Amino acid sequence: MSKFSHNDLIILLTSISVILIFARIVGEMGRKFKFPIVMGEIIVGVLLGPTIIGAISPDFFVRVFPKDGNVSIAFDGLVNLSVVLLLFVAGMEVQLSLVLKQGKTAIYTSFFSMLIPFATGFASAYYFPQWFGNNPDSGGDIFFSMFIGTALAISALPVIARILMDMNLFKSDIGMLIIATAMFNDLIGWLIFAFLLAMKSTEESLGVGYTILYIFGFGLFMLTIGKKIIDRSLPWIQTKLSWPGGVLSISIGVCMLCAAFTEKINLHAILGAFIAGIAFGDSVHLHEKAREIIHQFVTNFFAPLFFVSIGLRVNFIDNFDAMIVGVVLVLAYFGKVIGATFGAYLGGVKIKNAIAVGFGLNARGAMEILLGTLALSAGLISQKVFVALIIMALVTSITSAPMIRKFYVEKGK
Amino acid sequence: MEFDLNKLKKRPSYPFETIAAGLSFSPRMEAVLAEAKKIADVCNSKLVLIHVGEKTKEKEKLFDDILFRNNIEEKKVKIIWAEGDVVDTILKLCKLNIVDLLIVGALEKESILKFYLGSVARTISRKAKCSVLLLTHTSKGENAKKKVIVNAGADHPKTIHSINTALYFARRIGVKEITMVHEVHSPTLSMAISESSSAPEVTKMKKEFTEEESGKLHALIAKCDTGDLKINEKVIKGKPGFAIRQYAETKKADLLVINSPDTHLTFLDRIFAHDIEFILADVPCNLLIVHSRV
Repeated sequence: MSKFSHNDLIILLTSISVILIFARIVGEMGRKFKFPIVMGEIIVGVLLGPTIIGAISPDFFVRVFPKDGNVSIAFDGLVNLSVVLLLFVAGMEVQLSLVLKQGKTAIYTSFFSMLIPFATGFASAYYFPQWFGNNPDSGGDIFFSMFIGTALAISALPVIARILMDMNLFKSDIGMLIIATAMFNDLIGWLIFAFLLAMKSTEESLGVGYTILYIFGFGLFMLTIGKKIIDRSLPWIQTKLSWPGGVLSISIGVCMLCAAFTEKINLHAILGAFIAGIAFGDSVHLHEKAREIIHQFVTNFFAPLFFVSIGLRVNFIDNFDAMIVGVVLVLAYFGKVIGATFGAYLGGVKIKNAIAVGFGLNARGAMEILLGTLALSAGLISQKVFVALIIMALVTSITSAPMIRKFYVEKGK
Repeated sequence: MEFDLNKLKKRPSYPFETIAAGLSFSPRMEAVLAEAKKIADVCNSKLVLIHVGEKTKEKEKLFDDILFRNNIEEKKVKIIWAEGDVVDTILKLCKLNIVDLLIVGALEKESILKFYLGSVARTISRKAKCSVLLLTHTSKGENAKKKVIVNAGADHPKTIHSINTALYFARRIGVKEITMVHEVHSPTLSMAISESSSAPEVTKMKKEFTEEESGKLHALIAKCDTGDLKINEKVIKGKPGFAIRQYAETKKADLLVINSPDTHLTFLDRIFAHDIEFILADVPCNLLIVHSRV
């Protein structure tokens, strides 16, 4: 391979600069209409990528975002790093104690808001592969079906948190229930997805038994012994090392180490990053300021790189299939809203508020996009299904707030 | 053992008409007994002394000596010797005797194994259907100067009962000043803020959050009869249970008053600790867990 040249560096820096500046401009415009920031980032990707600029001026597109060569490799490295860090910050917000604290209601809601979308997604993909553009004669693909189930079962904590905050429901019983359930959904969803990626790995597969054992072994170790070590070290790190540099480099360093370890044992790097995030985020010693700094660092630099890169690699017009989009949207709304509503109602929430919980958890946002991108890279799904998932993630995120508003009944009213 | 649960339902958390002390013939037994007597005297309560274990001549003799040394007349207290599982038996006897406050001695910190498996005092704290006073420190100094901190979680329906019980208890033991602490925990707040907020928006959001919580605490205290007690109000940020434990440690509190747990706590709650489990893991001072029976 040739050396990374002076020219390569200029192209890489220019492409990063174009991504960050445009993503910020469009994101800020969307913010005025209360659209999630990720929507602006996706739109910038579509505009800069093969869908618009690539179609109008292919030479310009290839020059700024080369498909191969040193710049492409370096950019891919940055995107992979972004994925790892996005999973780390997603893990940082998962607090299992919150699910336990919410008790029966959260457990019922979590269970049914996972089970029903997973089951409907799995069954549809397995028995009706043609709905997803697959050949019905070759029969249902178990990995693809499990992925569709997982993709429909997951929720997006960041966008949900933002919606609840904007609606002033953040500290309400319903808000806490939605947050706790989304945390649980994320945890289980990512564990299943890590399992799928490990099983689908092109490297030597570990086999079902060992994969499950490794995932749970690693998770258990990190969330018990690992967490204890982090708990003991954090006060020292935050007081003795320079602030906030110390906690920032140690936490991200540990995240990378865990990601490297899980990648090494043929589980995906995302698992290590996600579990490391939980171990750090759940620590009572992690200062709120440190948490905010890590979030800002990842959300404002790495997240745009990743979400814009999605539009750079997929042509959204060529891969738009109305039937697949329709199927994915119907399944997403049906499974999640019904499952979560049923669970919340069973857990003692009044029906209207239970429906509000269902629509709250229906927002898929960035997590779905992340999941879809990894599945696309791993060859689990086609570009058409990927585009359908992106559209579903955006539509569910945008419709969540108005639907919560429509059904939510304040206490005492 | 038969008991009428209806007698306990909706029974107010104070006054403490009947106080029981769980005694274990440990080196701390005499201190716990002396404290229980002192509290029973100031609260004009009946005192029930419970020991679960074999009744031997030696134990009886030791017990009589302790009663004598602490000026406790045997006929003025109810002494119960029982056998069986320590926690279950004590809790059943508390129900049977309509106990309002159970006093037990406890170590500030247990060994990891004992903590996760559940020691007697901590298991009682998790399961009791009456208020529990965990004594980790024996009383020293003037009561009037003692620092009492109440976990006044303004969003919880039980809190008002805990505050009123704390006010009642403080008056009885002669405390003059109480600090009401409201813990604020906003999981995912930093994530929500980092999604898309400008600097003035972040400042405004945080300010509003704090003001709203202070307002809630103030409104809650206004509903209680604080009388001549001096009340300090404080809003702290952090994980519930852990934040107030740290606050009590920092302020060198003598008594921390908290709500009883909402759910049946299991081993998992100790692994993924929350609320009372953070406090039980390392009890910062004497701990009054108010069971409001609502």
